[in-house]
Amino acid sequence: MNHHSSAAPGFLESDIAAAAHTDCVISEQWTGRTVVISVAGVLDMLTSPQLEASIAASLPKNPSAMIVDLTDVGFLASAGMGVLVDACERADGSVKFRVVADGPATSRPLTLLGLADMIGLHPTLDAARATLSA
Amino acid sequence: MCNAAAADASTAASIRAGFAHWLRRAGLDEPRLCDIVLALNEALSNVAEFAYADGPTGRVDVQAALDRDRCTLTVTVADRGQGREGQWREGQGREEQRRELGPSHPQRRRGRGIPLMRALADALVIDTSAVGTTVVMRFDTVDVRRRVVALGT
Repeated sequence: MNHHSSAAPGFLESDIAAAAHTDCVISEQWTGRTVVISVAGVLDMLTSPQLEASIAASLPKNPSAMIVDLTDVGFLASAGMGVLVDACERADGSVKFRVVADGPATSRPLTLLGLADMIGLHPTLDAARATLSA
Repeated sequence: MCNAAAADASTAASIRAGFAHWLRRAGLDEPRLCDIVLALNEALSNVAEFAYADGPTGRVDVQAALDRDRCTLTVTVADRGQGREGQWREGQGREEQRRELGPSHPQRRRGRGIPLMRALADALVIDTSAVGTTVVMRFDTVDVRRRVVALGT
């Protein structure tokens, strides 16, 4: 029998202490003129400006392709999706743009909103790279 | 679930994380959990961003009710902000419409929260008035395997 009682304060206090999932770590790696911006953690309204800044810093370096890799993203909010769409549009024409994401937290909501084709969504980095040499 | 929490972005993140942890401990499957947590996040983000836009940060109340017989989870997010009267972004539900706006149009990059909630929840009601907004989301086929007694109020 679990020890929750109806008089307990509710889940919030104890669960918050155990669930510190609010960080976002962004790294950038160049291979030739392809830049892969990898995101780990949470992409929400608080952290998506970090991704936006990283993309904004990379575009002026004239990549031929930009891949945003969300493989290690555990949570993607609409704010993060907006950054992806915006980046895709900014890259339009001169820079090939791809997004790597797979799973219920990332590719599913992107697909639900009809964004998958627009942003060049692929389930793995290899799959995304394979489309660049076409 | 929580009452009178601060209606800001970092509190929203904390509430979201706590809720996800609770659903996970209750044994909900991961895909369903992701849908529900994301929908809650969008409702909270809208509060953080718009509800009290014209004044100091206010409060948000979040309630969750699990009907184990019907396997439904109902999540309610309520604020008392007046910032959204006439200001709520219904969001260009379709991306084609969104693209017709100019690239620097402020609605271009934002406003996907409501379309997301609609896509994720089985039922969504948004009730906006001069005294605040209440968002009610219902999720069906919520199969909770473990007994969780305390839902909070």
